[in-house]
Amino acid sequence: MDIGLAVSELHRTLMANQRATGTWGYRGNQDSVEATCLAILALPRHTSVQPSRAIQALLGLQNADGSWPAFTGDEPEGCWTTALAVLSLMEAGQAMKHSASGVRWLLNARGREANWLWRWKLRTFDNKVQFDPAKFGWSWVTGTTSWVIPTGFALIALQRAGRRGCDDTARINERVDLGTSMILDRMCPGGGWNSGNGAAFGVPLAPHIDATSIALLALTAHKEKSGVRRSLNWLLNRLAGCPSPYSLAWGVLAVAAYRHISEEARECSRDGAEELMRLTANAASIEDNCTLAVCALALDAINGNNPFEVRTR
Amino acid sequence: MNLGRRRMITAAGVAVGGMATARLLPEEMLLRDRRLPRSRVAIISAEEYSETLEGVLASGLRAFHLNVRGKSVLLKPNLVDYIAGVEINTHPVLVGATAQAFLKLGASSVVVGEGPGHQRDTYLVLAESGLADQLRGQNIHFVDLNRDELFKVPTRATYTGLEHLWLPRTVLNSDFVVSMPKIKTHHWAGVTLSMKNMFGVVPGAKYGWPKNVLHWKGIHRSILDICATAPVNFVIADGIVAMEGNGPLHGTHRHLGKIVLADDPVAADFTCARLMGLDPYRVWHLARAAQFLGNGSYDRIDLIAEGLPLRTDPFDVLPEFAGLQMRL
Repeated sequence: MDIGLAVSELHRTLMANQRATGTWGYRGNQDSVEATCLAILALPRHTSVQPSRAIQALLGLQNADGSWPAFTGDEPEGCWTTALAVLSLMEAGQAMKHSASGVRWLLNARGREANWLWRWKLRTFDNKVQFDPAKFGWSWVTGTTSWVIPTGFALIALQRAGRRGCDDTARINERVDLGTSMILDRMCPGGGWNSGNGAAFGVPLAPHIDATSIALLALTAHKEKSGVRRSLNWLLNRLAGCPSPYSLAWGVLAVAAYRHISEEARECSRDGAEELMRLTANAASIEDNCTLAVCALALDAINGNNPFEVRTR
Repeated sequence: MNLGRRRMITAAGVAVGGMATARLLPEEMLLRDRRLPRSRVAIISAEEYSETLEGVLASGLRAFHLNVRGKSVLLKPNLVDYIAGVEINTHPVLVGATAQAFLKLGASSVVVGEGPGHQRDTYLVLAESGLADQLRGQNIHFVDLNRDELFKVPTRATYTGLEHLWLPRTVLNSDFVVSMPKIKTHHWAGVTLSMKNMFGVVPGAKYGWPKNVLHWKGIHRSILDICATAPVNFVIADGIVAMEGNGPLHGTHRHLGKIVLADDPVAADFTCARLMGLDPYRVWHLARAAQFLGNGSYDRIDLIAEGLPLRTDPFDVLPEFAGLQMRL
């Protein structure tokens, strides 16, 4: 099957699933900021007016403090989806004031371990899960600890904001450095990332494909680091035979971002794309809009269009 | 959908039942006693995951005289992650047999739903665990509860301080919810049974992966609020191959050779804990649940199939849970 045709089919299904409000739900009738952002990123701007309707709807969901909720009706504290919303608006080249307020929120948001009291407690008493609490990133939900995926998305959004000449470059660099150190600290012993920690109760944890992929996308500026290489190798091996289009798509997005440094990565992204086309051949049967969007993005990434890739200078 | 908020929490007082030893917290004084007069639990021997399970289950379920005719049934297995060669999840064969048994009892539909705590790609766990093939073969639909449509439901207990929980449409719209845990030890909660299994109905889309908000509120407290708020009508626990030691992921297999059926999750968990050789009254959330949510004491639980073994070699636990073990 031709990649272009496969992407078009995924786009068609995604557009058919767009809600009257302009947003996407995960699958049902509730606006989901994650699904909407991924759909905005996946749908090319020229195909129809739907993406601009989606952007308007996304702006309508923004909280007063610059953050985004997880879904319509959610509490206004803001959460991890803010990074995805900022990234979507920047990619669409629209509503820069809104994305700037999202960036400011991200710069102020931090995992709970950033507080000295919790850091002390985590170092002194709660040491069943091994990590350095001085290295913190972003949480899923305000008031909780840092986790790999929210930190990965925040790092990608902030690095891209920094490249675009955002006002607060010094603070962006400071948070990106700290977040990067957190991700590297939480790596699993053999490479790759689980949801938050590399080991718990003295046992090494197994990496997850999506967490590893998103972390690798956030770390493209550190591709020479041995831990990053080890994680890339883990991912290259793990993707073979992956039965899930969602995880496989994140894997393809990640390895495609490393295509310039590794022949194996180039090969793996091509093979992964082939497998992804097979798994999504009946796009209409895929219920989850995030899966549809990430698969479309992954297939596009083979041609070098990867909104999650932070290009190093 | 609306469960009636605090109106449902009347100041009826809590009768301290049976052998419950937990001291009442101030907030517990306001909890309505929701215990059944008596609870029924069936311990059934089952040596392996095989085709015979369907018959074993059907005969076990008949003893409860359940009326599920025309009702929509949701099966909530424990689907955590996939590690090759490790029995982490409720076994697909047991889930399939349960689905079939409920359809034969006249259920209008049977759906399987789960929202894993750490793994965002639910379908990956579903596929790698073998449950996807099992359900496809039986034409049973699966719902990812982490990404379902959500409704705000007032909490019906006050342990976390959360005034409401966001719960998935599939859970709230089902007529009959069956918690299907894997009997395991748990490195934070001591045990993970039918009540802890209900963590999986709380959506990652709102609470994160893991559901970290609830961890910060306290796992035991969160279990109580979830189980007081979300419906649990029946329990089918997988104890054919259980897990001891560093559960729920990195423990070791323990062949218990039992499935446990119950019309009360608290009674189910008390019985499972006793089968594990652990004292349920020393598990914080179980001791408290037995004061208002369900029955824990022997004198309020009817064992309608097999009895508890006279002697049980306690499950291995992490050192901090050594106090749970009932000594021979």
